[in-house]
Amino acid sequence: MSALVLEASGVCKTFGGLKAVQSFGISLAGGDLKGLIGPNGAGKTTVFNLLTGVYTPDEGKIALAGRSIAGKRPSRIAAGGMARTFQNIRLFGELSVLDNVKLACHVRVKHSMWASVLRTPGSRAEERAIEGKARGLLDLFDLADRADEQGKNLPYGDQRRLEIARALATDPKVLLLDEPAAGMNPQEKKELRDLIRRVRDEFKTAILLIEHDMGLVMEICERITVLDYGKTIAEGTPGEIQNNPRVIEAYLGVEAADAPSGASNA
Amino acid sequence: MRHGVDQHAMQPGASSLTTLVRAWAPVLACLLLAVVLQMVVGPLLVSAGWDFAAKLLLDIGINVILAVSLTMVNGFTGQFSIGHAAFMAVGAYVAAGIVYYGSFRLFGSAEMAGGLLSSAPEGRQGAWLTRGDALFGLSILAGGVASAGCGYLVGLPSLRLRGDYLAIVTLGFGEIVRVLIQSQTTETLYDPEEIAKTPLWQLPKYLGGALGFSGLPFYTSLFWVWVFALLTVLVAYRIKSSTYGRAFLSIREDEIASEAMGVDTTRYKVRAFVISAFFAGCAGALFAHTVGVQLNAGELGFVKSFDIIIMVVLGGLGSISGAFLAAIILTILPELLRSVSEYRMVAYATALILMMLLRPQGLLGVREIWDKRTWRWLTGSRTRKRGGS
Amino acid sequence: MDGLAVGSLYALIALGYTMVYGILKFINFAHSDIFVLGAWMSYTVALCAGWPQGQPTHIANWVLFVLVAVGVAGGVYALVGRLRLGKIPSGAWTLLLVSGWGFSAAGLVLVARALFAADQKLVAGGVILLVSMLTCGVVGFSLERLAYKPLRKAPRLNVLITAIGVSLFLQNVGQLDWMFGTRPQGMPALLPDKVLATFGGTPGATAGSWDVQPIQVRLLDVIAGGTSIILMLALDRLVFHTKLGRAMRAVSFNERNAALMGIPVDKVISFTFVLGAMLAAAAGFLFGQKYSGLGQPAAAIWVLLGLKAFVAAVVGGIGNIRGAMLGGLLIGLAEMFVKAYQSPAVVDIYVFGILIFVLLVRPGGLLGRVGVEKV
Ligand SMILES: Nc1ncnc2c1ncn2[C@@H]1O[C@H](COP(=O)(O)OP(=O)(O)OP(=O)(O)O)[C@@H](O)[C@H]1O
Ligand SMILES: [Mg+2]
Repeated sequence: MSALVLEASGVCKTFGGLKAVQSFGISLAGGDLKGLIGPNGAGKTTVFNLLTGVYTPDEGKIALAGRSIAGKRPSRIAAGGMARTFQNIRLFGELSVLDNVKLACHVRVKHSMWASVLRTPGSRAEERAIEGKARGLLDLFDLADRADEQGKNLPYGDQRRLEIARALATDPKVLLLDEPAAGMNPQEKKELRDLIRRVRDEFKTAILLIEHDMGLVMEICERITVLDYGKTIAEGTPGEIQNNPRVIEAYLGVEAADAPSGASNA
Repeated sequence: MRHGVDQHAMQPGASSLTTLVRAWAPVLACLLLAVVLQMVVGPLLVSAGWDFAAKLLLDIGINVILAVSLTMVNGFTGQFSIGHAAFMAVGAYVAAGIVYYGSFRLFGSAEMAGGLLSSAPEGRQGAWLTRGDALFGLSILAGGVASAGCGYLVGLPSLRLRGDYLAIVTLGFGEIVRVLIQSQTTETLYDPEEIAKTPLWQLPKYLGGALGFSGLPFYTSLFWVWVFALLTVLVAYRIKSSTYGRAFLSIREDEIASEAMGVDTTRYKVRAFVISAFFAGCAGALFAHTVGVQLNAGELGFVKSFDIIIMVVLGGLGSISGAFLAAIILTILPELLRSVSEYRMVAYATALILMMLLRPQGLLGVREIWDKRTWRWLTGSRTRKRGGS
Repeated sequence: MDGLAVGSLYALIALGYTMVYGILKFINFAHSDIFVLGAWMSYTVALCAGWPQGQPTHIANWVLFVLVAVGVAGGVYALVGRLRLGKIPSGAWTLLLVSGWGFSAAGLVLVARALFAADQKLVAGGVILLVSMLTCGVVGFSLERLAYKPLRKAPRLNVLITAIGVSLFLQNVGQLDWMFGTRPQGMPALLPDKVLATFGGTPGATAGSWDVQPIQVRLLDVIAGGTSIILMLALDRLVFHTKLGRAMRAVSFNERNAALMGIPVDKVISFTFVLGAMLAAAAGFLFGQKYSGLGQPAAAIWVLLGLKAFVAAVVGGIGNIRGAMLGGLLIGLAEMFVKAYQSPAVVDIYVFGILIFVLLVRPGGLLGRVGVEKV
């Protein structure tokens, strides 16, 4: 197994009196594919916001490729190799599909703005490389024939895929996907499943996936962390999670959890 | 990561000569066009008795600089600066101080000492550019740099915060600039000996105060105005069509997503603001030395800022060609409608409100006049839907 | 003393900015013009009521005309709605409301006139204040309905631009000949004024030296300060101790959730605008009394005043009602100290200096909190 790219431990965040996330920890190595599940309002998205620097953690350590990132600006963290998609899609609606992806290549750009203005050979070469890379990603995500359309005009499923393509364009070491299958039909979900696997295999990124579709999560994730009211209530393989009484309790309520017997704590 | 690049393998870079030509030819073209305007178009207009058209061309050029530079902040990054005229004032006074007192110190008087490129179209004999022009050119740049510096100081604290604070801070900055200049009680110095005696660092005290800065030589010509106007457009266009332009536009579209994709939004907003202030400063410097202008900070207040804003908004927030066109139209229109001038601002205000209610993105939106989408929009054919359905 | 009086005026205006910002999250640039309108309306009404000073303005006829027109339109609309739909459409109610409102204001003008004739000047002054508050309330209401409401869902930048447009519209329409005209006017003294007490200081001291003029307690300042403080206390009670106030706070906290809880969001927003406009009108009236010259409606001085009130709102913590009051007083006092110890010309530099300082140190303002945007 390769070295850990993301290591978080003891991460806490409160909003007013609400303990949204309590001592959360996770570690990911390159090529890992892990899941993060929990009932609505459990704090999953908040975890993503903490990892990507949108919120500053109250406590805890987060390290990306060995370097501490807690409290850094989101842009710095993105430059360090963390990319994400948003639960409520946040594309650049007025920009074209191609430009959405090209923009994400910006964090790896080496030439300065003056080079752009003067159109130096270096800047031209880099612009061409960006164009190529963006078109390649659109091909991979089956969006190539929509390259010139405005982001906001895409159908919902395409918008979700474009978000992933855009995140990948930043060359991430860690990719955080927030409910990528939400609003997709079964066929689209199946394609998405293959796509996520392919991304993991081809790009060797570590992927952390939030998803409410249990079928999808159980099928593709190697390990799963379960949150409830901000607390990590279980961690383990899909099989362990499925039989964990605390997880069942969290999802179905107390009585349901009492009924089955013999399951062990994770 | 390398996935895409394999398929669309990079074409071998064009030969370095063509790259060089493609980088610099537009710059030369701007220069050439400005020279043609000054040496050919200007005299033609004057000899045809259309002096007012030549004067109008000056105003248009200055407004183009202002509108296009403001669109970099308000249009590209989606921030809202409403103190553009203040940056103009900074540039104007810095340049005016340099030209006026510099002329006395260097040439002994503030007489106009420019060559053919900076003289009024009827022209004189002699060299195209003189040392007077050199002084003027440098002073324009100095005005721009001073203004950019102010832009940095104003932008840094306010652009960290939510968008609408910038509006207030720029408005406040405008007032501060105006008050600082107008509350000066010392008049402009006229006596060459006194000017020679006064230490350099004291000269900024004598900028005319509330009475205005008078006695400036009129260097501003079609050449100077349009060199700067065309270069502003070129720079704006090159920024917009580069990876940095996409970064600016992404801030406007969704600041949080932009930051998550690795764009340091504060830094880029400040950058756009500073560039925009630079060009506004240049425009101010040009304005200060225009025939018939008596430089007075009172005129570079909120109303002037608003004139520029309306050009940007009507033309389309983020559209360079939109701002360009709007600058032309909104410079000519008031000249035609002089008889009902008290209704001008009422009409502007109404146009602005209606535009926001009916077509909030402005005439062109972020599009440029040469974009394919614009033509589809103009000719009324729907956006073609491809694939799938 | 002066500082407290001016400060409380700033606070009155700042409240309008803060309330609107609290709910709709945008700077209502037109607010300062409502304030100007308030000042000019009280001038106009005072003339109509019989005060002998100054040039009459032509606005009265126009206002009546517009009121009748709106009333007739509302009536016709209501009638048509009644016949075609069987019920009176809400738009018609709105029109009728506006016109009725205006007419009661016009009626009050007559009352003021009668009171003036009966030599009850102070009471007449109060009625004039009421009229100008009512008119500005109508204007605030119509602005919200016509210009801002259609943009409720639009990006903030667009709303901001519209607000600027509205502000310029008001300024320049006010400037037209058939409105208030472009000439500055002298405001008649509607309220009594005399020096109540004097203490401290060196008589005859000039600005710029460390000696200060003796402090005068003037009746007018007391009235102005007192009126604003009464209004502010009333507002504070309204917002924090009534059902309507709770609704306002709920909408400000989260518009969509408030709507889901059955709060009539549109009505609450309209009400907020009206309230803000009325406070601004009161400030305009009092300001006109304190500084008896009225600048032309589009003069920079007004813009600046409104701007400083906004600065007060930001310094106190935008969206926070008590913060606005605090900020107003703070700015007013700071201004007076600078005027006394340095020169009146540099006041604005200090005010905006304070703004930038506060933004740097406490971006949320003195009493405000910085919210994190939910992602
Ligand atoms: N900026 C914020 N301010 C206040 N409370 C917040 C904020 N962000 C999140 N919360 C609260 O934190 C809790 C966790 O929210 P979060 O969005 O992380 O849940 P989630 O697990 O992603 O739920 P879902 O499955 O519905 O997406 C919720 O109660 C939410 O209201
Ligand atoms: Mg979520």
